[in-house]
Amino acid sequence: MGSSCCYDGTLGGLLTLLARLPAAADLPDSIATQPPVQQGLFSNTVTVETDPELAEQYWQKLHHRLGSAGLTPVRSAFLADHPQKDLLICRYLLLGMQEGRRVSNMLAHPQVSPLLKLAQQVNREAHRYLGFVRFREVTGGFYYAALAPDHRVLLLIAPHFAARFRDQQWVIHDCRHGEGIVFDRHRQQWLLLPMETSAEPEFTPQEEQFQQLWQSYFATLAIEERKNLKLQQSKVPLKVRPWLTEFGR
Amino acid sequence: MNNDLMEKLKILADGAKYDVSCSSSGSSRANNGGIGNAASCGICHSWTSDGRCVSLLKILMTNRCIYDCAYCVNRSSNDTQRVALTPQEVAELTIGFYRRNYIEGLFLSTGVVRSPDYTMELLIEAVRTLRSEYRFNGYIHMKLVPGADPLLVQEAGLLADRISVNLELPTRESLALLAPDKSRDAVVGPMRQVSSLIVTNRAERKQSRKVPRFAPAGQSTQLIVGATPDTDRQIVTLSEQLYQRLDLKRVYYSAFIPVMSDSRLPALPFSPLRREHRLYQADWLLRYYGFSAHELLDETTPNLDSELDPKTGWALRHLELFPVEVNRANYEELLRVPGIGVRSAQRIIRARRQGHLGIDELIRLGVVMKRAQYFVTARGRYAGDIRLESGLLRGRLVEPSQKKVVRQMSLPFETQGADETASAVTGEL
Repeated sequence: MGSSCCYDGTLGGLLTLLARLPAAADLPDSIATQPPVQQGLFSNTVTVETDPELAEQYWQKLHHRLGSAGLTPVRSAFLADHPQKDLLICRYLLLGMQEGRRVSNMLAHPQVSPLLKLAQQVNREAHRYLGFVRFREVTGGFYYAALAPDHRVLLLIAPHFAARFRDQQWVIHDCRHGEGIVFDRHRQQWLLLPMETSAEPEFTPQEEQFQQLWQSYFATLAIEERKNLKLQQSKVPLKVRPWLTEFGR
Repeated sequence: MNNDLMEKLKILADGAKYDVSCSSSGSSRANNGGIGNAASCGICHSWTSDGRCVSLLKILMTNRCIYDCAYCVNRSSNDTQRVALTPQEVAELTIGFYRRNYIEGLFLSTGVVRSPDYTMELLIEAVRTLRSEYRFNGYIHMKLVPGADPLLVQEAGLLADRISVNLELPTRESLALLAPDKSRDAVVGPMRQVSSLIVTNRAERKQSRKVPRFAPAGQSTQLIVGATPDTDRQIVTLSEQLYQRLDLKRVYYSAFIPVMSDSRLPALPFSPLRREHRLYQADWLLRYYGFSAHELLDETTPNLDSELDPKTGWALRHLELFPVEVNRANYEELLRVPGIGVRSAQRIIRARRQGHLGIDELIRLGVVMKRAQYFVTARGRYAGDIRLESGLLRGRLVEPSQKKVVRQMSLPFETQGADETASAVTGEL
């Protein structure tokens, strides 16, 4: 009753938490990566130590029980930046252990639909960022893109950019979550690394020219008679504009 | 890279922007050792201040043109600056923009210089430079020049992902009026050819996967709406035929914007954007919802209702088919319910295998109950709060007009007096 749980933020940690749960009914009221700032009067916070072996075992069990289709939304939802995400995932997985493969078709179930909605939000944002990434050519021969997505979408968009820009060195930096993907074209591999914002990188002279070309092209493209700023803002929300070359100045 | 290129880019983008085709979907060209690939879902990269998406670098090779089509900015009698890009410049711009992830690919159109064949060869050379010299595997949409040699058309299809010819006007008469240099047959001819080439290529690829793809994202076309007195019925029926007979991927509709004054063109006070929107809705009903043109429009209603979307309009004319029980109706029946789209219909089918669906479940599945409530029952319960009657429902379903005009309250006798004076002054009386 009134318990809260805290883990290290990895999928392994969350799985350990689930595996150690005595019964489905004992799901804590809140799960977080850090102990809650304000604790309830009668609540006690349990910190779960990640046990990689136990987590791996539990993952296998889940895979066997839910099938890969049942676990797909969990992967996306885990990347969500949402205070309830851990709880939603746990509720879904516990139902999945009960119901098996059919859980992925129980779209209207109150334990399933919130998770699917969250996963959809993450996937949609990831898709939008396939278009919203703007690379800038940095002196030193690589392309750098900065962005601040709501959710941690980097893992979802990395394969797309790795396939598309395999002949250039590039970095995509998520400033909000302090991480970035670095692509190495010689090894054809990408890596997710923690990344700090430091000084603004130095851009090549050619970069400046292409930015100007793009900005003037973008301005020309609009048809004055069809002006519809509301529609534009629903497609390109103000929060993403600081990172887009065409909306700069 | 210099100011000269910037100027050219501005002029040539300005000439191409009225081509509405924007999609970058339908092709999944892989990146074989160069740069770029095509995402089959299509990706939008930005949106301009008119709310249209930017996906491709949409540009003309040149805005010089020998034709004099009344609706076109590039018509020969229009007094504007004429410029041209070299194939090398097109390639450099495309690659520069692509590397920075500004765009998904290239949309290359052109004015017609010297002859259709000569112009077509120019386009092909630019695209070939991109594909072979720069090893570009991204999306390319190429315009065919009506009247070009069939061999050139074939060559274009092997290089591009999508090819298109613009039909421009829905009827032969309208075309003769506004584009006297283009004949209907010169436009439909290449469309037929492309369609048969696509069909042949598909068959050949079934035999062997090594046969190169011909226009993997198919062909599309564009119609200008509102420049001529054609009805929606004529337009939608034409689209249906294009989809069925010529296997087109998309028909685009472009609300007529008077870019130049010409006695042959109507002087519209505003561009028919609402009509364009309704036509797109009808177009989606044709392609994804199993509707046919004659169900949406007939002799008595030749134009789409501007206040109601075409599906709701259809449903109101066929109330005998409603309400539909969501737990029993098949997929095709669900698709015809206003407020249920392709996704929610699929979800309903999946979810109801696991148990009966009630109204709450429908909301959770993403059904738009604002409209659907009047047309469905769930577990036998009707969700709407009024009788299923056309007049009553219409009042509920009509979209409220976009802007509320704020008017100052005034006393009736004052306005009357003012009106009379105004009329007298302007000489109306």
